[in-house]
Amino acid sequence: MFLHILKYELKNGLRNKDLIIWLILFPIVLGTFFKIAFGSVYEKNEKFSAIPVAIVEVNENPAFRQVVEGIESADVPFLKASFVTREKAEKLLDNGDVEGIIFTEDKLRLIVKEKGLQETMLKSFIDQYVVRESIAKDAMKNAPEKVQDVISVLTEETAASCREIPLTQGNPDPYIQYFYNLIAMVAMFGCVTGMHITMQNQANLSALGARNNCSPVPKSLNILACITGSCIMQAVCMIVCVSFLAFVLKIDFGDRLYLVYPTAILGGILGICFGFLIGSLSSLGEKTKAAVLMSVSMLMCFCSGLMVADMKVIIADKIPWFNNINPAAVISDCFYCLNIYEDYDRFITKLINMIVISVIFIALGFITSRRKKYASI
Amino acid sequence: MTDTVVKINDLVKRYGDLIALDHFDLEIKQGEIFGLLGPNGSGKTTTINCLLSLLAFDKGNIEIFGKKMTPVSYDIKKEIGVIMQNVAVFDELTVYENIDYFCGLYIKDKAERKKCVEEAIKFVGLEEFKKFYPKKLSGGLLRRLNIACGIAHKPKLIILDEPTVAVDPQSRNRILEGIQDLNRKGATIIYTSHYMEEVEQICTRIAIMDKGKKAAEGTKDELKRMIKNTETITIEILDIPDKVMGEISGLKHVYKTDLTDGKLTVYCSGGKHNFMRVLDVLQKNELSFGRVYTEQPTLNDVFLEITGKALRDKED
Repeated sequence: MFLHILKYELKNGLRNKDLIIWLILFPIVLGTFFKIAFGSVYEKNEKFSAIPVAIVEVNENPAFRQVVEGIESADVPFLKASFVTREKAEKLLDNGDVEGIIFTEDKLRLIVKEKGLQETMLKSFIDQYVVRESIAKDAMKNAPEKVQDVISVLTEETAASCREIPLTQGNPDPYIQYFYNLIAMVAMFGCVTGMHITMQNQANLSALGARNNCSPVPKSLNILACITGSCIMQAVCMIVCVSFLAFVLKIDFGDRLYLVYPTAILGGILGICFGFLIGSLSSLGEKTKAAVLMSVSMLMCFCSGLMVADMKVIIADKIPWFNNINPAAVISDCFYCLNIYEDYDRFITKLINMIVISVIFIALGFITSRRKKYASI
Repeated sequence: MTDTVVKINDLVKRYGDLIALDHFDLEIKQGEIFGLLGPNGSGKTTTINCLLSLLAFDKGNIEIFGKKMTPVSYDIKKEIGVIMQNVAVFDELTVYENIDYFCGLYIKDKAERKKCVEEAIKFVGLEEFKKFYPKKLSGGLLRRLNIACGIAHKPKLIILDEPTVAVDPQSRNRILEGIQDLNRKGATIIYTSHYMEEVEQICTRIAIMDKGKKAAEGTKDELKRMIKNTETITIEILDIPDKVMGEISGLKHVYKTDLTDGKLTVYCSGGKHNFMRVLDVLQKNELSFGRVYTEQPTLNDVFLEITGKALRDKED
C-alpha cells in the first residue's frame, strides 16, 4: 500500500508544473541572473586585488619602505602603497581612495576609516611586519652582511602570511553566499509541498482529503508515503539546482561541494516538514493556508537574513533561540558555516540542529493531523 | 446475518449551541436506494460525515454491516464507496491513473485491480478518455470520473452526496442509470440530492430531514399520502359565477379553490373521481371552458409542505 501511494505521489509531483517552476526553473533563472549580475565582480575578487594604502613616513624606516616596495613589485601585489604627507593621506582616506594610513613612527601605526576584510588584512600586515622585523633585527646583529637576504625573506613572509589569514577560513566570498542563499530559498519552497500533504490527507481541508480518509488506509501510512514521495522529489530538485550552479554556471563551492548536496537535500526536507506543520495547525481553506504559509515563510526568510543581512544579527542578539527554530535561519546558518569556517564543528552542529528541527516539525504535524475532526454543516 | 446495512441510533451532534443532529435515527436495509433529502443546513452532510467517521458526534451509535463504525474500522471502510459533492481527483493523474490510485487503496492484487479499473471505466463510459487529464474533461465527464473513483473497488455500500450538481441532462441520466445498475448488482445506495425528480426517479425509500431531525420517512407513495394535497385540478375558464364557485368549493374532498388569470385551480385532499365531479358542475351550469388537466402531488410538493417554504440560509 505504501509503495502504491508513493508511486502515485511521485507521478503527481513530477507532473506538477508549479513544483517544476519553483524548485527547478526558479533557481536556474535566478542563479543565471546572479552569475550575470555579479559574475564579473566575483571573478575580479577572485584574482585578489591589491589593497590601496597611504604611508606617512613620520620617522624614516628604509627597511619598511623596501619591504613595501618589494610587495608592490610582486606578480600578485598585496599592497598598492602611496608615500604621501599626513594631509594628503588623510584626504585620500576621506575620499575612500585608500583603505588605511600607516604612520612610520617609533612603532608602525595604522588608521582605518571602516572595518572590513581589507582593513583586517592591513592590520594583520602591520602585526606580521612588527613580529618579523624584530626577528630580522636579531638576525642582522648576528650577520650584518646578509641584510638584503633578510629583507627579501621579510617581504615574502609578511605578504604571504597576510594573504593566508583570511583565505584559509573557508571561502569568505560574499558572492558565493548569494548562491548559498538561493539554495536555502529553494529548500524553503519545500514548505508548499509540505502543505499540500496536509491538504490531501485531512477531510476538513479538501474533497481529496475526505476521500482518502474514507479509504481503509490508515491516515498515518498515507501521510508517511506522501512525505516520503515529497522528500524524494525535493531531493531531486535540490540536486538539479546545486548541480546547475556548480557545473553549468561554474560557481566555485571549493572542495566542499560534496557537503553542499546533503545540506541542500536536508534543507529541502526541513522545508517540507515546516510546511506540513503549518498546514496541520489550522483548518483554513487551501488558498488562505497557502497565503499564511507564504507570509510565514517570507517572515522566516526575512528574520534569517536572506533578505536583509543584518536582521539575523539583530535576532541573534535579541532572541537568540529563535534562530534555532527558524527553518530559514537553520538552513542558511548551515551554508554560512560551510562558507566561512575552516573546521566542520559548527557546520555539523547546525546540520544536527536541522535534522532535529525536521523531526520535531514532522512529529508535531502528525500529532495535530491525527487530532483533526471534519466539521461542516 | 442481518439485512440491515446502516443503523443510526439517537445520534446527536452539536456545534457549540447549534444542534446539527437532534436524536436522529435511521435504518437502511440491504438493496435499497435510500434518498436523504432536506433543505440546506438540515443535517444531511453532517449525517454522512458521522456515518463515515469523518466527524465525531456527541451521542448515539452508528452501525454498518452490523458492526460499530469508528475511524479505525478499516474492514467496514473497505466495503464502502464514497462519491462526494466536490470532485475529488488528482489533476496531475490521468483518468486511468486516478481510478487505479483510489482502487489501489482498497485492492492490493494488481491483476484484480486492473480488471476493476477497466470495468469502472466502461461502467461510466470513459473508455475514450483513459489518458486524459481531469482538466481536459467536461463537467459531466469529470463527475463520471468522480463516480468511477468511488465505485471501482465494487463496494457493498455506496454513498453519493449530490453527485449530479452542475451536470447536463445527458450525463445526469447516465449517472442515474448507473446508480440503478449498481443497485441491481447488489449495492446498497445512500443518495442525497436537492433534485427532487432524481430522488423520485431512483430512490426506493426516502427520509426528509429538517433541523437535524427526521421529518418524514417512507416510500415516495407513502410520503405523498402524508400531505394534505393529493390532487390539483386546473381548468382554463374566462369567468365563473360566484354561485358555481361556491358549488365547486363545497364538493367533498375539495379544500381550496382559486381563480386567477383565467385559470381555475381546485385543490383536493383524498377521495376519488374529483376531476369528474368538478367537470360535472361546470357542464351542469353550461359553462364553457378550455384545456383541463390534473396533477398528482410531486415529491417537491411533499418536501415543501413538510419543510416549509421559508428560505434556509445555512449551507449543508
